Amino acid sequence: MTLDLPTHAQERLKGLRSSAHSSGVFTSDFSVNEFLLVRKAGFEPIGLCVGTCVYHVGIQYGSWSKNQEMDVLSKAMYHARELAMSRMRAEATAMGADGIVGVKLTIKRLEWDEHLLEFIAIGTGVVHGEGHKGFRAHDGGPFTSDLSGQDFWSLLHAGYRPVEMVMGSCVYHVAHRGMLSGLGTTGRNVEMENFTAAMYEAREIAVERMQVEAAAAKAEGVVGVDIHEGSHGWQTHVIEFFAIGTAVLPLEQEIAPEKIADPIMVLSVND
Amino acid sequence: MGLFDLFKKPTAESQAAQAESARRQADIQMSLRGGRVPSGTLARLQGAAAGAGPWMATLSPAELMIVRSHGLKPIAAISSTCWLHYGWSWTQGHAQGWETALQRLSQEARACGANAVLDVKMRTIPVGEGESMDFSLVGTAVRVEGLAASPDPIIATVPALEFVKLLEADVVPTGIAIGAHYEWLTDWRGSADAPWMGNTESWQLSNLWESVRSRAHAQLRESARNHGNGVLAHLNFSQMFERERDINEQKVKEYLARHIVIATTVDAKRGTPLPQEFKMMVDMHAGKTPLTGTSRHHQSYATNEQDGAI
Repeated sequence: MTLDLPTHAQERLKGLRSSAHSSGVFTSDFSVNEFLLVRKAGFEPIGLCVGTCVYHVGIQYGSWSKNQEMDVLSKAMYHARELAMSRMRAEATAMGADGIVGVKLTIKRLEWDEHLLEFIAIGTGVVHGEGHKGFRAHDGGPFTSDLSGQDFWSLLHAGYRPVEMVMGSCVYHVAHRGMLSGLGTTGRNVEMENFTAAMYEAREIAVERMQVEAAAAKAEGVVGVDIHEGSHGWQTHVIEFFAIGTAVLPLEQEIAPEKIADPIMVLSVND
Repeated sequence: MGLFDLFKKPTAESQAAQAESARRQADIQMSLRGGRVPSGTLARLQGAAAGAGPWMATLSPAELMIVRSHGLKPIAAISSTCWLHYGWSWTQGHAQGWETALQRLSQEARACGANAVLDVKMRTIPVGEGESMDFSLVGTAVRVEGLAASPDPIIATVPALEFVKLLEADVVPTGIAIGAHYEWLTDWRGSADAPWMGNTESWQLSNLWESVRSRAHAQLRESARNHGNGVLAHLNFSQMFERERDINEQKVKEYLARHIVIATTVDAKRGTPLPQEFKMMVDMHAGKTPLTGTSRHHQSYATNEQDGAI
């Protein structure tokens, strides 16, 4: 039985339609809207890029009453993420991608061993539809970005292009109280200054590290900065302060602010 | 470091790092006590103001787009914290904690020569150190092109898109106002909880709420007066507890009601028509539409969510 399909659809089904990728089939984890917007932005997806790293995180004990960075853990989190990211980027380079959009960086604990963490970086490699190489990162390799397809489109229309996903991490041990044991519950409301100082120090270290990465990527700025805290099964007072964002550069031809279209405001009238 | 490294002497490198950390923490504490930005942070912010390093923004690309088209430039992501131990009052502690964090945030904003701080989010780390809470604010300091740096930058607890929408309507979000109040009710006659009565209002408890909420709101209005002429109260948090105590050999029930309301203050020019046009639109989405869904902006009072807005 022969299929009575349009020629191009048949070719598509045979995987012959895309000229960008040697095997002819692109893979991506885009939603339909993301896919359309990335293409609207002038890019074609070519393939999912994955980097994983299962990492044995060393042991470090914070002294009970002291605020301190857990440098062994900080280094582990850094190193493991770096490995996962660079493996993903190597895959993208191998398939000739100009960049990776929608990178999701996740950390999973492995059940059977509390010291094992699995780092996964996954994103969709894209190429510029007209072969423009100006979108690559400063080292000539693919750009990386955790922006969704929608965000990618918006960023280009704001006059910027993504360069590199930048991050800063600081695993920190917040001292246990002790100085406060003398304070009864009837006392004044007092600031716990050493706790506040812990937050300030840890956050500052994380932000500075991210800034160093952004400067190294020769970026003009960082969008989508998120500073959050997480605990990956460590002691209760050990917290990772993690700053992440996408370093950006202005497009070759910068868009004048007055050229940026105002969004239209709509009122959805259903229900 | 492995397990056995515990018994080794610290290396020169780690000793230097510890000394540096101790110096930094002492500086942070001294600076905050003196009402200044800690020197490490200050250096980074002044660098950002001078354009020395890359700028940083908590904004999404769509927000960056609209912010740029309205002549705003991001300078730095800034943050502040006050970790407070509740001595005499949990409820009042919230007002105090946020006030302190707010002052520290505006110092950081001033340090980087900003006109405003957008997208300010309230955050709390769940470390679970009893009787205490951290009050943290995170936002993006921006400069308005063509304007000199402000001695008193405005603090907007709304996302950048909403900030711009408000500006277009000649409404300036200016800061945060807080109202927090609690009261104890001692029910000597045991009439607040009267299951044998059938359908009836527990008027003591109604009155308790009435009193607590209206005082919290009065305080909110008072606190807003410094910044603007109105508030958009985005966050209402309330809790009531019951406990039984022996007072003079009598079992007495006591009730604690607390209400915290946190709002964005606005300076709104009244009576001016809105310049924007709105288009009516039928959304063909089945189920939840992305048009009406907005993600949660603040994270500090998540426990009150299931109660819904008050």
